[in-house]
Amino acid sequence: MFGVIRRRPQLLWLLVPYVLYLGVLPFVNRVTPLVFGMPFLFVWLLGATLLTPVAVWLTRRADLQDRDRDRDRDRNRGGRA
Amino acid sequence: MNAVVATSVFAVFMVAAVALGLLALRGRGKGGGLAEWSVGGRSLGPVFIWVLMAGEGYTSFSYLGAAGWGYNYGAPVLYVVAYMSCGYAIGYVVGPMLWGYARRHGLVGITDMVAHRFGRPWLGAVVAVLATVFLLPYIQLQITGMGVVLSVISYGAVSLNWAYFVAFAVTTGFVVVSGLRGSAWVSVLKDVLVIATLGFLALYVPLHYFDGYGPFLDRLVTEKSDWLTLPGHGGGGSGLGELWFISTTFLNSLTVVIFPTTVAGYLGARNADALRRNAMYLPAYNVLLFVPMLLGLAALFVVPGLAGAESNLALFKLVVDSLPAWAVGVIGVAAGLSSIVPMAVFMLVIGTMWGRSVLSLVPRLAERQKSAAQVVVVVAGGLALLLTYTAPNTLVRLSLISYEGMAQLLPMVLLALVWRRLTFRGAFSGLIVGVAVVCVLVFSGNDPLGGVNAGLVALAANLAVALAVTFAGPRDPDPRPDAEVLAGDPVGDEDEPLAVTRAARGASDHRV
Repeated sequence: MFGVIRRRPQLLWLLVPYVLYLGVLPFVNRVTPLVFGMPFLFVWLLGATLLTPVAVWLTRRADLQDRDRDRDRDRNRGGRA
Repeated sequence: MNAVVATSVFAVFMVAAVALGLLALRGRGKGGGLAEWSVGGRSLGPVFIWVLMAGEGYTSFSYLGAAGWGYNYGAPVLYVVAYMSCGYAIGYVVGPMLWGYARRHGLVGITDMVAHRFGRPWLGAVVAVLATVFLLPYIQLQITGMGVVLSVISYGAVSLNWAYFVAFAVTTGFVVVSGLRGSAWVSVLKDVLVIATLGFLALYVPLHYFDGYGPFLDRLVTEKSDWLTLPGHGGGGSGLGELWFISTTFLNSLTVVIFPTTVAGYLGARNADALRRNAMYLPAYNVLLFVPMLLGLAALFVVPGLAGAESNLALFKLVVDSLPAWAVGVIGVAAGLSSIVPMAVFMLVIGTMWGRSVLSLVPRLAERQKSAAQVVVVVAGGLALLLTYTAPNTLVRLSLISYEGMAQLLPMVLLALVWRRLTFRGAFSGLIVGVAVVCVLVFSGNDPLGGVNAGLVALAANLAVALAVTFAGPRDPDPRPDAEVLAGDPVGDEDEPLAVTRAARGASDHRV
């Protein structure tokens, strides 16, 4: 399992929603300050909901970069042989 | 007159839903075995997977229970948003993993994954029975949900008992024949209606009743501020504090990725990348879940004093009160389909589990898994309908028990696929202990326990027992190599057809 994280550290991005929704909950569980009249907790959770896709996207982007790099390497190796 | 209009709109859309579900099979002939029916032949692209999984997650709870929670407690209901977002995110890893495992070994659900992993067909049967027990209340929940919706939007013209039957009939009407693919097609209609109606209500209700969001939010903050944070209205007495929110979200986010219906969606994917893209887009759908909660809060001002199960109708009271009959009908359809799509997948999954893992143990039925599964679908749905008539219960508690029970499968299904050392004895003893703890805590009224979700307490016990028994006992005498038993980490490989990748890899190895 730790091997996987070492090979794909980008998987840690997937913990971002856990931090946003759960980790910091005690600090954001409040009505004020209001943001455009909205209670703070709702604004925070709404923000977390909008940021979750971004976190997943960051993992995916890094995965795609890894894949391209591996392909290039394979191709170069093949070329040399 | 109102009743006739709204009910007609509803009826037309229900017929359309069944037709759409059946049309999904057009051009595919009658053939195709269990995998075609159960997991759509593993051929659904990113769009269908998104629609289907969004459809499964957004059940009748979203229209009824969520608004009811919003009305009764307020903020605690947002745990649904939180766990679905977290769960969809880790689905980025788990989805492709389960998908790859199932495809490599020709599996169609968690029960035959377990059977394959531990090399014990009967274990699949045990898990199937257990999962069925946890899923049946869910079907019942959808039946009751749809019943309540139909009865309200028909202005009482359709009785609850008939409405329950309609839910059963419409769902069975397409899912028996067209399976997961049909569910995905109906889900398209459903998602369009859900997005449109909730989007509309989110704008319309504050405008209609409060002259806009500004005044609405002002009143909320000044008059109902205890609804706006955890533990919500009712204070500590509700047991819905921060610790409850955190533990429930954490547990459910893990459970949702192995929930049999989610897994059916995963396995239906054409390739692993469809699932990864889906994990990216799906959490955005959760924004819609804020709407029923807001409407529940709005109902506090418009229809105060709803008590007990009536609070589940908070949203529909507003709808019926403020909109013309045809619009009431359309919103009813969206809510109705939100019962039907998940219910179809629940029934489908039960059918699949029994066809593949239970009835297949009977030699005579082993060759006819698909037909057996289709019969089970009708039986399971019928049983849930019967339970609805004879043993009704309130909405949310039931689904929490289902989730907490299903969570106990986590070590056996998920941990086992990444950790070879976990022995059959360990996983099985853990499961028994976990389920026992859930039952004891929930039925003795100790959920949450000291503020913590009882399912999480049970899962901790489950895991502790599984580890202890594993390390105390001998290794499983299983000669198969790791690659045959464990699920891989297939990133990159499976985007091309398997044969090509293998050939390419073989070639490059040769060169090196």
